[in-house]
Amino acid sequence: MRFISRGRLAARSLYWLGWLAFSRRSVVNSGVEREVYVLGIGALRLVAVSSLLVGLIAIFQVAAQLAPYGAEPISPRVVTWFAARELGPVVVAILVVARSSAAIAGELASMNVAGEIDALRAMGLDPVKYLVSPKLLAVIIVLPALTIIANALILVGVWIGSTVFLGYSTDRFVGQVREAFLTRDLGVGIGKSIVFALIIAVIASDEGLSAERRASAIGAAATRAVVFSLIVVLGADTFVNAIFYFIPGLI
Amino acid sequence: MRYSTSYPDLSDRGAVLRVEHLTGPLHAPVIHDVSLAVPSGATHLVIGPIHAGKSMLLRHIVGLEQPLNGRILLEGSRVDDAIDSETHLRRLRARLGVVFEGSALISRISAVENVELPLLEHTGASPAEARETAQELLAEVGMSDVAETTAEDLARSSRRRVAIARALALRPAVLLLDEPTQGLDSHAAHEIDDLLGVLQQRHQFGVLIFSHEVRHAFGMATDIYVMADGYIVERGDRAALQASPNETVRQLLHRRGMPA
Repeated sequence: MRFISRGRLAARSLYWLGWLAFSRRSVVNSGVEREVYVLGIGALRLVAVSSLLVGLIAIFQVAAQLAPYGAEPISPRVVTWFAARELGPVVVAILVVARSSAAIAGELASMNVAGEIDALRAMGLDPVKYLVSPKLLAVIIVLPALTIIANALILVGVWIGSTVFLGYSTDRFVGQVREAFLTRDLGVGIGKSIVFALIIAVIASDEGLSAERRASAIGAAATRAVVFSLIVVLGADTFVNAIFYFIPGLI
Repeated sequence: MRYSTSYPDLSDRGAVLRVEHLTGPLHAPVIHDVSLAVPSGATHLVIGPIHAGKSMLLRHIVGLEQPLNGRILLEGSRVDDAIDSETHLRRLRARLGVVFEGSALISRISAVENVELPLLEHTGASPAEARETAQELLAEVGMSDVAETTAEDLARSSRRRVAIARALALRPAVLLLDEPTQGLDSHAAHEIDDLLGVLQQRHQFGVLIFSHEVRHAFGMATDIYVMADGYIVERGDRAALQASPNETVRQLLHRRGMPA
């Protein structure tokens, strides 16, 4: 039973997000701390291990592709080029979708089934303010932070791959990273991760709040949240990349 | 035989909550031509089998559903008209205390935070003031010792008490309780009844209980409405209920082992 449209949910989430920035310490703020812990600290191990492995996979793959052209030595530079802009934010977004979209949608759907959403509304309390905005703010804090960590660990994976397996020196790796790694690439990656955070939190919350009031709807809401979030995140990433491609001087 | 719901009785004139000829919800009516009135300080009961329309009636009263016909008046203000006005509805909802079936506490926050929520939203109290008032309310329902416990970790009877404290946070004119003792053992259920009696005597709010448990009819309720298939089929005190020839009433009494 939908009590708020997806568009209104997104608009109201942003409104309460602004309110949260200026509000006094309250139940909502403590909700943000809890969500940051659950969504961020809880995801650290997954993001760390995955990023390290993605770095290793990328260096092996790129080296194999460049070897026939005698360009294998610049493999670390190539991976570094797209790690901050693309690999880091997208890998983290996919991991957070897999881990947290389902959790957010499932939690809100189960609250719906238990009548907790109706209870809030019956008390004149906006479920978007008390339930969605803390999650939205938490994801907006967590995703860029995890993206920075992922970028660093992807480079660690690249370093391990290029020194231990490809036999290049650490000095060569550091030199190539210095040449290829630009601060503006990091900025673009973090900007993307903030957009992804908005997408993930709003879609997952919407699926949870609009779930039907029966037990089987909880799993269905979680599945829909993961599927739609992934599609929209990748769609948004494609759109941003297309803009950068067709307007080369943009950034 | 369906109870005639033409107009509320003269004795209902002092009612804080009045439902008149309510049919709804708007697109797929489940309840039909329901009328009732709850005076301040009185306890009324809406009883009926599962799926009789009791919870739907409650949802209409708190403005979660839009009726097709009829009126809902809380202290003279129309709830059914306020559905399109969020500000008006918020003001009216602040005068209603609701304890939903299963308590419906926000499970991931503590008991005291649950009670704080309506205070922070509606009263303009500072967080410290809200916390102090919430602690007092929890003390009133005997739940001081679990104030910092997360709601999902509370025992069922404790959840019910915390939900009552939350519902009373804004000193409502009427307290609505949906299946208030469902799932509790008889000792805990009687404790909840006693607690409600004490609180009502102290604060003089009207109480409207929605339940399928006949035991409530033999407790604090003075006026009883029997619902079946979305209609009020009988109304009266417990003596009238026991004397009723209505088949639904007789089945309810018989099933619960009460004298029919």
